[in-house]
Amino acid sequence: MTASLPLWPVYIDDFFGGVLMIILAVAAFIYARRLTRIDQENVLWIYIFWLCTALVVLAVSRGVGHILRFLLVLSGHDAAWNFLAPYSGGINTMAITAVAVLTFYYHSMQRVIARVQTDARSLTRAHDALTELNQTLEQRVEERTMELRLSEQKFRHLFEGSKDMIFFCDSQARITDINDAGVNLLGFEKTDEVIGRSLKSFFLDQEQCDRYFRILHDQGHVKEFEIEFARRDNSRLYLMITTSAIHDDSGAIQGCEAIAKDLTRFKEVTDQLIQSENMASVGQLAAGVAHEINTPLGIILGYTQLLEEDFAGQSEVFDTLKTVEKQTNICKRIVADLLKFSRNTVEGIKKAADINGCLEEVLAIVEHSLNMDHIYVQRSMSSGLPRVMVDRERLRQVLVNIINNAHYAIGVEGIIGVWTSYDPEFQEVEIVIGDTGCGIPAKTIGRIFDPFFTTKGVGKGTGLGLSVSFGIIKDHNGSLEAFSPPRQQQFLEAGMRTTFHIRLPIRPEGAHDA
Amino acid sequence: MWIRKNFTQPAPDTGDVAHRFLSRRTIIGIVAAATLLPATPALAVQLHGAPEGLYVHMLAHVFYFAALLFLLLILKKKPPGHSAAWRNFRLALVFFLLWNTDTFIVHWLASRLPETAFVGHSLWAHRLAGPLTPTRWIYYLGRFDHLLCVPAMFFLVLSLRRLCRETESRPPTTPGDGP
Repeated sequence: MTASLPLWPVYIDDFFGGVLMIILAVAAFIYARRLTRIDQENVLWIYIFWLCTALVVLAVSRGVGHILRFLLVLSGHDAAWNFLAPYSGGINTMAITAVAVLTFYYHSMQRVIARVQTDARSLTRAHDALTELNQTLEQRVEERTMELRLSEQKFRHLFEGSKDMIFFCDSQARITDINDAGVNLLGFEKTDEVIGRSLKSFFLDQEQCDRYFRILHDQGHVKEFEIEFARRDNSRLYLMITTSAIHDDSGAIQGCEAIAKDLTRFKEVTDQLIQSENMASVGQLAAGVAHEINTPLGIILGYTQLLEEDFAGQSEVFDTLKTVEKQTNICKRIVADLLKFSRNTVEGIKKAADINGCLEEVLAIVEHSLNMDHIYVQRSMSSGLPRVMVDRERLRQVLVNIINNAHYAIGVEGIIGVWTSYDPEFQEVEIVIGDTGCGIPAKTIGRIFDPFFTTKGVGKGTGLGLSVSFGIIKDHNGSLEAFSPPRQQQFLEAGMRTTFHIRLPIRPEGAHDA
Repeated sequence: MWIRKNFTQPAPDTGDVAHRFLSRRTIIGIVAAATLLPATPALAVQLHGAPEGLYVHMLAHVFYFAALLFLLLILKKKPPGHSAAWRNFRLALVFFLLWNTDTFIVHWLASRLPETAFVGHSLWAHRLAGPLTPTRWIYYLGRFDHLLCVPAMFFLVLSLRRLCRETESRPPTTPGDGP
């Protein structure tokens, strides 16, 4: 007999294996469903759920098939099993195919998941960033605004607080913004009065203006360029200006920004120094000449007087000699003035004097003459001025000189203003004598203290009055300045066209108490 | 341009069109008659013989085998996790792979065994007749396929149970998130 193998262990394996497969497949399905319920939107769980569903179908179809075959064949219903078997097999095939399709689909699912995860992470990051930004946006805006405000305040303070003129111009050289110092320097009161004006309109010298804009256009900046501006009252303003052009993206000039330093005072002081040097030189020359001329003049005068005695009876010769004597005396007086200017004369004694009193004494002498020409004196003297150590005679001479000049400048009908004040900071008494006359042209005001400089006609002035006055005030360690027009508003409001300012220290060096 | 072309096109001559239409219909009728009148029995519906079911089933196993292999490679290349759950999941796939191989071989061998290889009239009396060649031994042992598919399903259940626990212990993920 040939050996054979029993198949009932196979059927037992099929029966119980089929049952176990169904139980396990259902358990897997339940867990898969639980996973999808925990996280309903997880794509991987959804995939596993459908995989398990297909496996349940496979397990049920296959398991039930095995069980039915076992039971039907065991009970002798082979025909029934033969009828059902193809259906069971067909469903198995479909289930296996479904599981395979789903499994192949897993890769695509994984790619989708990876993409979705990347997008989700990006979205989360973006969301977090947006949330953070939203939370801190207000704070950031506030901080930036504060920084901007502080920065703006800083630059605004620099702009407004600067004592130098700072301004901006547009492409047409019209002033678009200017600080208060600039407004004041230009002689205006409000910024609005300056804004919109052409920068060119302030230039006194057209050639200088052209050169300034040419350099700015060619080089894009102008550094430490000295210019002369006309103030609102047409007075001269010396400025040292540094300008930078503002360009747009295409390089075209959109305007400029500039800082200008006021050099007017510096220029005046420099001019005065130059003038002092000139006058010192001229004074030395004059002193030498005067000293040499003085002796022959004395001899001429002596001999002339002797001849007058000899020709006392001859009226014609006597008259001629008198003329010679008179002219010689004029020459001596000029020489004396020259010597005074050069300080070679013996200094008078300086004593404490009341400046207001000195002024009144002088005015008492000249006022009658002034009134004859309808010129009236307007006094504005401070009471309680400290006494000043001066040589009264020489100070009177200075005051007379200045008032006479004022008289000449006015001609007829006008006002001479006299102000006195005390400056406790510098411990100086200031005397201001102004007039409503014709004023002094800008070209000549720098030369009025030069010896022999005069605008008067021939024979009417020697050109030594102001030079001598300047020398006398210098002798007192003081200063003598002329302004035409006056700088201070109060003198302008009083109608003055020219003011002379005498500043005397109350206790000059070398002074003796009375 | 398009509008202008449409608007500027002249209106068609209706009489001419009707004439052309009738001519076309006549031609189509003649061609149809010439095609249908000498027709032979249709071959459009393919007939399926008895072995086709077995072949389809075996091809499904091949398809499933390939899918499982592919999935294992994917999981190795881009593992969704490294926990015990995913180890069990991979183990389940390996057992399914073995089961699949086993069933394919058994189906193939069954189709080659003659009807005389099976003897006995009752279920309990069924036997695999001799001679017991290696082929018959492989077939016989291969019939115990549940020894492979039940462990496969068991590891799948273990894997899913662990995944459930892991998922329950952490907050819900955003849409599209993997484990």
